[in-house]
Amino acid sequence: MSNVNPELVELFRTKAAVVGAKVVEAASMAEAARYVADVCASKDPCELLADEPDAEQGPLGPNKVPTRVKRIVAAPDLDAAAFGALAGDCEAKGFACIREGLRKHLAGIDVGVAQAVLGVADSGTCMVNSDDEETRLATMISEISVLILHKSAIRKDLPSIAADLRAQQSTGKPSYTAFITGPSRTADIERVSAIGVHGPLELHIILLED
Amino acid sequence: MHEAPKTLSSYREELDKALDDSFLRKTLDTFAVAYKANREAVFQQVNERDLIAKIAAAKDNAAQHMDELYEQFKREAEKRGVVVHRAATAAEANEIIARIAKENDVKKVVKSKSMTAEETQLNLRLEQDGLIVDETDLGEWIIQLRHEGPSHMVMPAIHLSRYQVADDFSKATGVKQDSDIQRLVKVARVQLRRKFIAADMGISGANFAVAETGAIATVTNEGNARMVTTLPRVHVALVGLDKLIPTLDEALNALLVLPRNATAQMLTSYVSWMDGAGPCASSPTGKKIMHVVFLDNGRSALAKDPLFSQVLRCVRCGACANVCPVFRLVGGHKMGYIYIGAIGLILTYFFHGRERAKVLAQNCVGCEACKNICAGGIDLPRLIREIRSRLNEEEGTPAEAALLSAVMKNRKMFHSLLKFAKFAQLPSTGGSQFQRHLPAIFLGKHGYKALPAIAAKSFRDRWKSIKPNLPNPRYRVALFAGCAQDFVYPEQLEACVKLLAAHNVDVEFPLEQSCCGLPLEMMGQRKTSIEVARQNIRAFDAGKYDAIITLCASCGSHLKHSYPHILEGTSGEAQRVNAFAGKIMDFSSFVHDVLGLTADDFVNKGEKVTYHASCHLCRGLGVKDAPRDLIRAAGEYLPSEEEEVCCGFGGTYSMKFPEISAQLLEKKLANVEATGATRLVVDCPGCIMQLRGGAEKKGSPLKVTHISELLAENMKR
Ligand code: SF4
Repeated sequence: MSNVNPELVELFRTKAAVVGAKVVEAASMAEAARYVADVCASKDPCELLADEPDAEQGPLGPNKVPTRVKRIVAAPDLDAAAFGALAGDCEAKGFACIREGLRKHLAGIDVGVAQAVLGVADSGTCMVNSDDEETRLATMISEISVLILHKSAIRKDLPSIAADLRAQQSTGKPSYTAFITGPSRTADIERVSAIGVHGPLELHIILLED
Repeated sequence: MHEAPKTLSSYREELDKALDDSFLRKTLDTFAVAYKANREAVFQQVNERDLIAKIAAAKDNAAQHMDELYEQFKREAEKRGVVVHRAATAAEANEIIARIAKENDVKKVVKSKSMTAEETQLNLRLEQDGLIVDETDLGEWIIQLRHEGPSHMVMPAIHLSRYQVADDFSKATGVKQDSDIQRLVKVARVQLRRKFIAADMGISGANFAVAETGAIATVTNEGNARMVTTLPRVHVALVGLDKLIPTLDEALNALLVLPRNATAQMLTSYVSWMDGAGPCASSPTGKKIMHVVFLDNGRSALAKDPLFSQVLRCVRCGACANVCPVFRLVGGHKMGYIYIGAIGLILTYFFHGRERAKVLAQNCVGCEACKNICAGGIDLPRLIREIRSRLNEEEGTPAEAALLSAVMKNRKMFHSLLKFAKFAQLPSTGGSQFQRHLPAIFLGKHGYKALPAIAAKSFRDRWKSIKPNLPNPRYRVALFAGCAQDFVYPEQLEACVKLLAAHNVDVEFPLEQSCCGLPLEMMGQRKTSIEVARQNIRAFDAGKYDAIITLCASCGSHLKHSYPHILEGTSGEAQRVNAFAGKIMDFSSFVHDVLGLTADDFVNKGEKVTYHASCHLCRGLGVKDAPRDLIRAAGEYLPSEEEEVCCGFGGTYSMKFPEISAQLLEKKLANVEATGATRLVVDCPGCIMQLRGGAEKKGSPLKVTHISELLAENMKR
């Protein structure tokens, strides 16, 4: 018997959409990798929000800063096989695919990929283990953040994930766990909602079959 | 940085200016209406009352174990490489942080939003050492550029327009910026990314400090807290001791309410949990240099205060400002010092001192809107009254409050003064809304409403001739009249007696009863208020009656809910107090719930009637359906927009802040008129005084009456 609860998956999908996340499905990691490469190919070029000496610069973007010519996809926490598949797809399209050294690209990257430990259906939230700085940066400095979530890892509500969160914090090592619910947003000017004040402009969630 | 008001008159001048800020008024109006609807929608999925009760219990428990939780947090965090400090005062916290900066050779600091750092005025201290400190929350950055303080705890720049922000950003970047909001947000994206990259130290607050794992959590939408805690090599979190909780369960539970209450979101975009100094490539050791500084600044003393310890339940959601009708009119800079809204009036007293609090604490109309939505279930209106009473104890009683006190101590004197309208010769008192002839100095302030006259014959003087005489009554009730109906509007009580008698209910009116004492409480006159309360309890032999009925919602909620508090431990007769309070019932509930009157009992002539839900009825006593059902039974009910928003009366409030009171009244009447009703009914004589006076002044044909009058006029005989 599959331990996927279709009702929770449906609820998660609805709630994540409400907060502006794009939810898609993939049957396998390979399919997810293809989706990531396609997303990167179809997006506008990434803006360089700060200086990056070695980056080749394209024309100015909407915010009057130069854009990046060679697109970058970062996926620090994928296992070797999955990273290999993604790197292959990226290479075919002429993108760089990296898993470390994100601090060299704090001016911004195109797509950051990370795996969600679990999802919370009630609020459309993903819990991401970002103890590793590279993973954390991938979800922060990318214009499009892609999170991969196993359908079977979707829970009902926040109180029901207490044990998982506790486990994150009880490994004997320092930890950094993020709940991510939609893209970076603000309503600080006249209460008008605006996306992407600091972090990702878009959040995509790939629901993966087990 | 704005200062706290020093005198009532200078404060009123500032309030006047705020009332003239049409942008602010419009923004806050739109927000208030949207917030209410959105909040309701996001709470549908969860059990609000239950969650709030859980937060209250968890925070109370945490406050009682503050020292142990601190020790446990420190142990756990230190195991994970974090340095933990405890600062007794704001200055001490600032010193610790300045020292950390120095030891690590820090030049540039980025901050994510922290009300605690606002509380300690941390930036000023760090700037003294030549550090460059940049706020990175968009709203905080905007007000930093303007050298202002936040005007809301969650939305610090809500008082500013896009044009003002565009000007500020143009100055900050040296390039003319467009006023399009989406563009402005991106200006911040570019500018602040550079600051994140260049910073040596990040300063954050924390919404929770979890003792079991030594973790802190930040709750944000923008994601700036993640940048602040990730990019620079040093991270310092400044955290109030009240943020300590035992386990993750309490935090997750609170997260079900905090974002819903703050911005009507299920959850914010980001919640980050950090325990321990993890890897950090920009640090020379490869590990983050992490410090957590806990701030006491009066919190541990508060935890020991039997009444005020509940203040520590506050999760800083800002909802008490979101629903406050006064905040909505004047904005946060005038409705707090650093902390804003109802909780701001209270925290200013404890964190920033009596001098800054004494005028501010007066600016609460007592409508109880905040009490109902507080994430921690804090009894905010009561605490504000208690602060006034403390201020009076500490500072001495203002002349008018002392006079009111002196008069009220003696019921006979009070009543004869009212009867002979001699009150008119007294200076400003809580009773002066009854004046026929106002001393000239008050005329200007009360120009917005006509004032009623003292009735030619008070209810107590009419009582003998109207007392029903029923051989076999169904129920036996006593009337608590309250001053306004006894002396100004006796016809409202008469209508009640007529209706009840017609339904075979015997009514008594104990003549020894006096003012309920609420005006005294509002003026901080606790001692006299206790005396008056005792006198009333003595006047009624509660055991004799099925109910003690009042037609004044303010008296009702005071008698029912405040008497047990204010008499707690003073009278030694808790049983009697509780028996009295237990019998108190408002008129509408008695007629609807107990007598069970329905449309069958009335001749419905189709009169168009709208309703104002008095604060003390709909929130104070929690009565919502009974009056509306009764209106439908006796007429055509036309609901009004914002029916449950305060009319601005607030008893003595309308005398202290007449300008605000007038604005609230104007809004209310506009909503009422928009219904097309010819009659407005209300469950409280105070509101009637305000609303009828306002309608008369405007020359509006609207008829304003008590619901008892509507029902008595239309009952079947
Ligand atoms: S007092 Fe209550 S409503 Fe006000 S900010 Fe604190 S928790 Fe929120």
